[in-house]
Amino acid sequence: METLGYLGQGFGVATTPLNLFTALCGTLIGTVVGLLPGLGPINGVALLIPIAFALGLPPETSLILLAAVYLGCEYGGRISSILLNIPGEASAVMTALDGHPLARQGKGGIALSISAAGSFTGGLIATIGVTIFAPLLAKWAVAFGPAEYFVMMVFAITCLAGMAGNKPMKTAVASLIGLLLACVGIDANSGVYRFTFGSLGLADGIQFVVLVLGLFSISEILVLLERTYYGQSALKTSGRMMFNMKEAMLVKWTVLRSGVVGFFMGILPGAGATMASAVAYMSEKRMATKDNRFGNGDLRGLAAPETANSAAACGSMVPMLTLGVPGSGTTAVMLGALTLYNITPGPMLFQTDPQLVWGLIASLFIANVMLVVMNIPLIRVFTKILAVPYWALVPGIAIVTAIGVYGVHATTFDLFLMIVIGVVGYILRKFDFPLSAVLLGFILGGIMEQNLRRALSISNGELSILWSSPITWGGWALVVLMLVLPMYRGWRRRRAAVPANP
Amino acid sequence: MIYQRLFLVALLVVYAVLAYAATTYEAPFSYEPVGPRAFPLLLLILLAAGTVYLMIRPGQMAEENADTPLTGQVLGRLVLCVLALALFAFFFEKLGFIVSAFLFAIAMCRLYNGGWVTSVITGAVMSVAFYMLFDRVLDVPLPLGVLSGLGV
Amino acid sequence: MTMTRRTFGKGRMAAVALMGALSLGAAVQAMAAEEPRRPECIAPAAPGGGFDLTCKLAQSALVQENILSSPMRVTYMPGGVGAVAYNTVVAQRPSDANAIVAWSSGSLLNLSQGKFGRFDESAVRWLAAVGTSYGAVAVRADSPYKNLDDLVQALRKDPSKVVIGAGGSVGGQDWMQTALLAKAAGIDPQKMRYVAMEGGGELATSLLGGHIQVASTDIADSVPHVESGDMRILAVFSEERLPGDVTGEIPTAIEQGYDVEWPVIRGFYVGPEVSDEAYNWWKDAFDKLLASEDFAQLRESRELYPFSMTGDELNDYVTKRVGEYRELAGQFGLIQ
Repeated sequence: METLGYLGQGFGVATTPLNLFTALCGTLIGTVVGLLPGLGPINGVALLIPIAFALGLPPETSLILLAAVYLGCEYGGRISSILLNIPGEASAVMTALDGHPLARQGKGGIALSISAAGSFTGGLIATIGVTIFAPLLAKWAVAFGPAEYFVMMVFAITCLAGMAGNKPMKTAVASLIGLLLACVGIDANSGVYRFTFGSLGLADGIQFVVLVLGLFSISEILVLLERTYYGQSALKTSGRMMFNMKEAMLVKWTVLRSGVVGFFMGILPGAGATMASAVAYMSEKRMATKDNRFGNGDLRGLAAPETANSAAACGSMVPMLTLGVPGSGTTAVMLGALTLYNITPGPMLFQTDPQLVWGLIASLFIANVMLVVMNIPLIRVFTKILAVPYWALVPGIAIVTAIGVYGVHATTFDLFLMIVIGVVGYILRKFDFPLSAVLLGFILGGIMEQNLRRALSISNGELSILWSSPITWGGWALVVLMLVLPMYRGWRRRRAAVPANP
Repeated sequence: MIYQRLFLVALLVVYAVLAYAATTYEAPFSYEPVGPRAFPLLLLILLAAGTVYLMIRPGQMAEENADTPLTGQVLGRLVLCVLALALFAFFFEKLGFIVSAFLFAIAMCRLYNGGWVTSVITGAVMSVAFYMLFDRVLDVPLPLGVLSGLGV
Repeated sequence: MTMTRRTFGKGRMAAVALMGALSLGAAVQAMAAEEPRRPECIAPAAPGGGFDLTCKLAQSALVQENILSSPMRVTYMPGGVGAVAYNTVVAQRPSDANAIVAWSSGSLLNLSQGKFGRFDESAVRWLAAVGTSYGAVAVRADSPYKNLDDLVQALRKDPSKVVIGAGGSVGGQDWMQTALLAKAAGIDPQKMRYVAMEGGGELATSLLGGHIQVASTDIADSVPHVESGDMRILAVFSEERLPGDVTGEIPTAIEQGYDVEWPVIRGFYVGPEVSDEAYNWWKDAFDKLLASEDFAQLRESRELYPFSMTGDELNDYVTKRVGEYRELAGQFGLIQ
């Protein structure tokens, strides 16, 4: 009950006119920053912290601003994913899979509104989760050791297989390429430099921004060049911007399931949001029996990652608030913001600063609402991006992409690396290898290898550590389920077919 | 099909080089049972197997290739585009962002069927506007290069 | 370096506030002639990391002390604990007096192990050291190891029974401090069980979750968990006990009979061909800064302890340190 009292206070603070206005501005700025390829929530939040101070905003208002910017950036990243097929960050990769086909079919507005609604619901589910469970969930986050992470990664990779569709071997090769790319750079366990060939630019491995912008942005630029040659100069946009009741009904269960999945995965520090969106997408793809158009613009394929993502974004606040351990790069920057107010985030925060914690949680609610309030009317404006002719759009994308890389890694080496990756990505794309599999393999692979090796170092080589805790049992059960379910489905279908032809 | 096979052969060559490199990876001394070599080598073996499989059974090609066949002319343009990107990267620090982006935007705009006048205008507007937006407003430092003497 | 360890500075607030005025007026303003026109701090890590903190600290302090009229910009150049930035500055911007680059003991360690490419420690001009942190050994509050001696006894009995986690790989700072401890206790460092985690946050959760038994970490990372009663620090690798209520309670390794000291110093260097004039401007600036009371407070708020050194003194110190590190690396079999 005490909790609800604090939350009530939090809301009292968050709904003053100044704070509502701040939330609105925050979501707007966040959306615009997130929209630029290569710039994500880290930049948005980092950018806003000094401004909040320069304006002399009180702590709770600044926190609301930061939460609003964070969620705004997450949402803005989806816009470039859907409309331009350029995901700005890992968790937006799955969004492009069905989001961009929708945009190409002229349903960009509907895609954006569904994704706004999905994000909103996901954020809501997760915020409720944080409210009820936050102090308990700290235990869930620390229960994940190397062995548990490894099993989760095996599960995620099994889910990857669900993406295969009609080209299983190409998907497999693509994800293996991703896994291999993750090996580049210093090996965290032994300190050995792998595949760097003496280049210091590769010492820390391939930076994620470089890979994602190379694979998606550069290859998209080249694909757009082909289309230009064949006379296309811009995409068409349709009239309807809002999704209708029928579409809402189609995605309702997807959204609820993905929100829950996203929340629990988001709590895990590390790859939470990316894994959440990938797992949500692929499990929905497996479950969808009726009119399965996943990969070609299925609304469920858009709603699932979007909801999971935004739920995970809120979920990543849990380790930050309860353990003082950031769940993602963005929460790392937010942690820094807290210290500016002489607040040390950590296990004591719920006891020492309850108002602040619940104020932040309340501001997540508010920011979620603002996001919808602001974005639905602006969808019409955003879809205008599609109408920009290629001769203006492409140079813009190319320059912003270069800035995105240079901004986080101020060397021209990475610009060249991005171009090389882009050209290879374009070739892979031409031969129909799924680039999203490369990227997911890259993200999951590093975590998988390092955690397997850590687990085995802990156990001194005993493999039994991989099935020594309840969480690992649960993980393996999910893996088996993922493998057996499609087989079972196939068996039932065959059985059902038998009586039909006597 | 033939191009895909050529590409796959090229991939196999790359795997071989990487595998050769990977065999030399050894920790100064090992605390852990697996070591830095096993995982990359396993991946390379799996990749080689997958690639060989694809050479034998290439599967279908994407539909998006059908309406935009890659002719020599398209290929030429693609090469030009990659060249423009590479030159942009090369001059990014040397000439500074504004000058290199200006020239790059003109080249790209021309490639994507923009007229000369529109290209020059686009280049001028974009280079200055993006510089102001990122360097000044968003606090992402960009190199000034040859313009650094202007003291802005 | 770890992403999670350190936090942000206050500097950016002023940064943006002044940005507007700066862009309009800088050209006409009559400044002290030597002041760098576009001061820049290169943080050789991703935003939010330890080097970012170092840059932000200097950024806000230099403005606060009215040494710089406009805040330095922070450029991110991650790679190899500073290796990329080191090479970029030495090879491409050797005479750029605008840019100072952040370094830490971790950079010196990698430098000494030849991981900085073809350049050695004499390739740049070491400018200033502004503060230090210290290594520490932590266990979970319910651990059977009550003090450093308990741990060392357990290690002596069977080094392979104790799982030690650290926030970096073999040869990194966290590894070196445990290896030094092992050496001081007469145990072969190569026989220890060592698990490399990625950064302080992951290390803390692994320790709290009971996946590892001992964490070789940094004092700043563990103090919040000590305050909450979840962790116990067995020893801090400083020369004397640290100031502060909680930190003052923590015994040093030296007072427990193990002669291990492991400071993690943070500072700045500039390119090799920066003119003496410009170098001295920066040196004077840092001398003034390090003497100031306000800076001491700022440093404390970033959980750093005093360590002030500039100019030639620092140059000698760095040279000496790198030499020591090189020797240690040789002893431990890290380099041939």
